[in-house]
Amino acid sequence: MKTMKKQLIGGALGLSLALSFAAPSLALLADDHEEDSYLAIVGGDIFAGTGEVLRGATLLSKNGKIEEIGYELILPDGCETVDAHGMRVYPGLVALSATTRLTQGTFAAGVEIHDFVPHEEHSEICGDCGKSFEEIVPPALDPGEFSTEHLATDAFRTDFDDSFDPFSGYMVMALGNGITTVQQSSAAVKLKRGDISGVSLSEKTLTSQSWSGSNPAGKADLREKFRLATEYLADYRRWEEAVKSDKELKEPSKKGIDGRILDILEGRTMARFSANERADLLGIARLAQQFKFRPVIQGCVEGWTVAEELGRAGAFAIVTPRTRRDRSETTTHEGGSSIENAAILTRAGVQVAVVPANTSIDMGGISGRDLLSLPLEAGFAIRGGMDERAALESITVVPARLLGIDHRVGTLEIGKDCDALITDGDLLHYQTFVQYTVVEGKLVYDKQEEVFYSHIRPRPEAAVDPGEEVSGEVESVEVEEIVEEESDEE
Amino acid sequence: MTATVSILRAPLGVFGAAALWAAGAGTCMGAQEPVGDTSPGLALRAAKVLVCSSDGEQTVVDHGTVLSRDGRIEAVLPRDVEVPEGYELEDLGDSWLMPGMIDLHSHIAGRGYNDAVYQANPGLRVKCTVVPGNANLRRALAGGVTTILYIPGSATNLGGEGILLKTAPTSYEDMVVRDPGSLKVAQADNPKRWGYGMNRIMLNWTVREAFTRGVAYAKTWAAYEAGDWGKDEPAPEVNPQFEVFRALYSGAAQISTHTQVHQVVLASMNIMKGEFGLDVFIDHGTFDGYKATGRALELDVPAILGPRSINMQTKGRGIDTDGAIMGVAAEYQRRGMTDIGFNTDAPVVPAEELALQGAMGARFGFRDEAGEVVRGLTIVPAEVAGIDHRVGSLEAGKDADIVVLDGHPADPRSAVTRVYVNGELSYDAREERLF
Repeated sequence: MKTMKKQLIGGALGLSLALSFAAPSLALLADDHEEDSYLAIVGGDIFAGTGEVLRGATLLSKNGKIEEIGYELILPDGCETVDAHGMRVYPGLVALSATTRLTQGTFAAGVEIHDFVPHEEHSEICGDCGKSFEEIVPPALDPGEFSTEHLATDAFRTDFDDSFDPFSGYMVMALGNGITTVQQSSAAVKLKRGDISGVSLSEKTLTSQSWSGSNPAGKADLREKFRLATEYLADYRRWEEAVKSDKELKEPSKKGIDGRILDILEGRTMARFSANERADLLGIARLAQQFKFRPVIQGCVEGWTVAEELGRAGAFAIVTPRTRRDRSETTTHEGGSSIENAAILTRAGVQVAVVPANTSIDMGGISGRDLLSLPLEAGFAIRGGMDERAALESITVVPARLLGIDHRVGTLEIGKDCDALITDGDLLHYQTFVQYTVVEGKLVYDKQEEVFYSHIRPRPEAAVDPGEEVSGEVESVEVEEIVEEESDEE
Repeated sequence: MTATVSILRAPLGVFGAAALWAAGAGTCMGAQEPVGDTSPGLALRAAKVLVCSSDGEQTVVDHGTVLSRDGRIEAVLPRDVEVPEGYELEDLGDSWLMPGMIDLHSHIAGRGYNDAVYQANPGLRVKCTVVPGNANLRRALAGGVTTILYIPGSATNLGGEGILLKTAPTSYEDMVVRDPGSLKVAQADNPKRWGYGMNRIMLNWTVREAFTRGVAYAKTWAAYEAGDWGKDEPAPEVNPQFEVFRALYSGAAQISTHTQVHQVVLASMNIMKGEFGLDVFIDHGTFDGYKATGRALELDVPAILGPRSINMQTKGRGIDTDGAIMGVAAEYQRRGMTDIGFNTDAPVVPAEELALQGAMGARFGFRDEAGEVVRGLTIVPAEVAGIDHRVGSLEAGKDADIVVLDGHPADPRSAVTRVYVNGELSYDAREERLF
């Protein structure tokens, strides 16, 4: 599409020069218009993910960003279109804790990618790993020529751009199930097909902290870290004021202050706790209220028993509605899992993100529980009483928010990335298929053009925009080694 | 999108049943009040009644009422028929009613076992391990599953006797629907790990060897029981190892065979049904087992599928789908199989997610135009297990195992709100919500 457009403009240029009637064409070129790429999703029912639904509307993307949403839009010349009449349009889904195979394909390491966060201080380059800067810098390089300033440049910002496999079959399957952004370790990564630039949206999303009744010393330690960091920040602010009148005043020392706790308290990252038990959840809620941060609680199985407290703490919860856990017989409190967990938490003001029972892709054939079942899992939240809007948000904007990338993804709003799904029905219905997926204004998935699902309820010809080559830019990918983990049936 | 309830056929069977009931009622209730029988009947009225009738037609009665008494269903009344006196009417509003679901592959009624001393242990009985009312059974019930085939694991070739149980009752005796429920056979896969040299040839040899002895034993007993036996001959000796074959030989029980991949499915059917003439159903049938559908139709072997619902290209099994993701149930159906049911292999997939197995079938292309998904969760497994005279549909004379839902059972968004088993309210989400 792009190439064709360039040719057209080139032709126009030649023509205009020949006829010396150049003004409009030159203005066009001066605006650098040949670089603009447009895509319009036309005529679908747009579920913006904000609560708004626009029936039969059109969404226009310009250079990967949503330019306009509405009716009777005038589409620019050369605008690629996807006919969504009779279909629905949703924001791309955001999958938390996704398997690294999605972004690294067959190059995926057997272990999770490490948290490699460039930082101002050498000792904090790798958080608590205890390694010195020299140990981290590859030995072939002379540390003397290599400073943290280099590390802070774009070229060293990310593991993900460099290890990203833009032709991974796993990724295409994820796109085919509506997932356009994934969390990988502490990073948020866009599933860009055929492109490795700018896939990393953020590399500092969540900071894991531990709070568990089985480790009282760890709890005391963490509380102390928060206390010291809070004190430091107060000292720093006092110093900031005082130094205006007394230039000699010494800046408070950061010694002994955990940089990651500062990140949490200053909002550069969010603290993630893995916790399920009532007592732990209460402890986290109180810690958060005491030190004024918003915790992200993964698991949160017994959250429904202390939902009000979690709501007051401004908590986020990452839940699997179907989780099963027996109530402890040693307590008189309510406890154990509840299918109503997600709904009760939401009603109490907790922002709930949903993850499936298994965040890998099950190649053994057990469907309905793996990463590709994200909307289905949200369906189980509805079973427990969550409303449909909150359920959609639980797999779009809430995970985007807790990753700190909701200014880019999670809803269909003007100015955000144009990551959209076009489905043949209600996204949360079990028979619904994603027909097209658009990532940053590019059509990257068309069900009928891929090997995976094209034979299942093939799209009626009528639903395809006549004469439109909808998938010219992407090649179909074959998956060879796809045995990931086979759970053995008994 | 396909509508959730697809076809509304004229509910002739239902009207017929109602008329029959009405005819009988006049004499029964008017003339002679049954002595001592004062228990009121139960009338459940709901927006949709999924009857799942045995005649193969899916019947949906809008605003119907299910009448039951003494644990048995008496009739399904259409909307314009008044509920007779002597019934407590429960108006369930917008709810849906369906028969209790049936899972023919389950390990959750107790601790189960996987005793792997010998490859062939047809005499082991999983019933010894049943723990009535255990937490997993309660959850199964909360998912609308009222009957299960509780079977041994697949560590060995002939795993032992399974048993058909209701999930709700709190005593073993009340749970039993049929004993033995099945002979569990496991082909390929897991029993190959039993020891060195265990390959398909060895496993098939083991099946033939055990079946030859077992069927001979059953024939001896059949002859004895038919009186075809010498006057002075002593009765045959009881051999617990082969007792299950008497039930198989007489057609009172079936073989539930863990079998997957086309070659193994073919071999299983050929040996058990083709050579020995015993009733068998394909259990799992997954990966590309559907390629054996043609032979299954010839041999009249039904399929209870799951919990793998899709087949993908799998290295090492020689399965090539050109990258396509094939719906297992859809592929059996496309090749002409009509008797398709679903299982969970609980706890591989949680027991309460049986209905989701049907949903996954439909997602990946299983046509659900005449209630095939719901039938595959109810009447089909009932017929396959030979217990359709008791369970599997909301028809007169059957056990009043009735699931109340707030929507289509396959949709994860629909919740089970109540379950009646043998006419008793056995699960009530208002009291304790379990799923």
